[in-house]
Amino acid sequence: MSERNVNPVRAAGGAGLQTGLAALAHWLIHHAACRAPPELSQRLEEEWRSDVAARSSALSRLRFAIGCCWATSVLLREHSCASVAIAGAAIGPKASIGYAGEEYGFPARRTITFFLVAGLHVVLFYGLMTGLAFKVIKEIPTPFQARILRPPPARALPPLPAPQLAKPRIEMAPPYFPPTEGPIDSGDIVAQPLPSTPSGGTETLPQAASRPVLRVPGGPGSGFPNTDDYYPSIAKRMEEQGVATVGVCVSPDGRLTSAPTIAQSSGSPRLDEGALQLAKAGSGHYRAATEDGRAVNSCYSFRVRFVLRPGR
Amino acid sequence: MGREDRGVRMSLQTLRVLEAFLENPAEQLSGADVHQRCGIASGTLYPILLRLESAGWFVSRWESIDPSVAGRPRRRLYRLTSTGLKRASEVFASFNRGVLT
Repeated sequence: MSERNVNPVRAAGGAGLQTGLAALAHWLIHHAACRAPPELSQRLEEEWRSDVAARSSALSRLRFAIGCCWATSVLLREHSCASVAIAGAAIGPKASIGYAGEEYGFPARRTITFFLVAGLHVVLFYGLMTGLAFKVIKEIPTPFQARILRPPPARALPPLPAPQLAKPRIEMAPPYFPPTEGPIDSGDIVAQPLPSTPSGGTETLPQAASRPVLRVPGGPGSGFPNTDDYYPSIAKRMEEQGVATVGVCVSPDGRLTSAPTIAQSSGSPRLDEGALQLAKAGSGHYRAATEDGRAVNSCYSFRVRFVLRPGR
Repeated sequence: MGREDRGVRMSLQTLRVLEAFLENPAEQLSGADVHQRCGIASGTLYPILLRLESAGWFVSRWESIDPSVAGRPRRRLYRLTSTGLKRASEVFASFNRGVLT
């Protein structure tokens, strides 16, 4: 019973829709024909009315009518560009149609497609800017942001603290190795003959013991490297200072005959290592010990003093 | 006829319209018939028909019926002219040459 009541309503509604669409299609055709060039207006309206009657569905008729509107705009454009008037129909009035040379169905489809694609892009970008991007930003905690990633600006190397100039040790003179002959008894490097210093073979002769031998101990000579060049940088930062005693064995030409050794530590392995490096670098610049003015093989020790100086 | 046909541009839609007419050159077709055979939308179809007619390839006339008797409005019928037939044949022949050689 209810179905029998509903179906007529639907049918009536469908018929009303069909009628409305058909009326809309006829109105569009009439409107399009009125906008067409005057010599074609009457002909086109009658032609389109007859052709739209061949369409079966109301939607198809509406599409046809919309196409007629587009055709009118095309004809108007061609008509405005026309330079030659031609006959429009065999029994109808003259028509003036130019040749714009374009099929306007394609531009229409291209234009619609272009706007659709552009609209999709706009929607997509709008969604990204307002939705997704906002959520992503919300998920990033603000206190966690850049402080960890930011490189520490002032943590590279702490500046060296100003050395305490008031200490009496620092006021001592810098190491200097004069190229002069004779023992060095002042400065950072002080040569000391070892108690068991072996002499050359000639000194063991019995006749040598009969007379006194003028023995001059050796030491760092001319061109010996500067102590500051071998002051370990880490020892400087740790403000380590001290005096290391290095034992060396030197040939008559001033070269090391064996590896230098630490005779007395400075208390810092870094300073001891720096003193050994200094002793090795000075090979060839040692002043050999002399006996009666003759250079001989000798072993002796000298002190290397590492002292912090202001401005270095 | 004094009509200029050099301005007819051979687009894909124009070729499809001509092809529909070349199936039976003596046949007269309305816009609805061409739509059924080619599937071209009305917004494109009627400018092409009018363009070819103004170029002298087509002639058109009203269907000779009485609308009150037939129960429907009279249709506008298009037909290929001899010039149109010749030019359309040349166009398709040139396309075939281009494809085959």
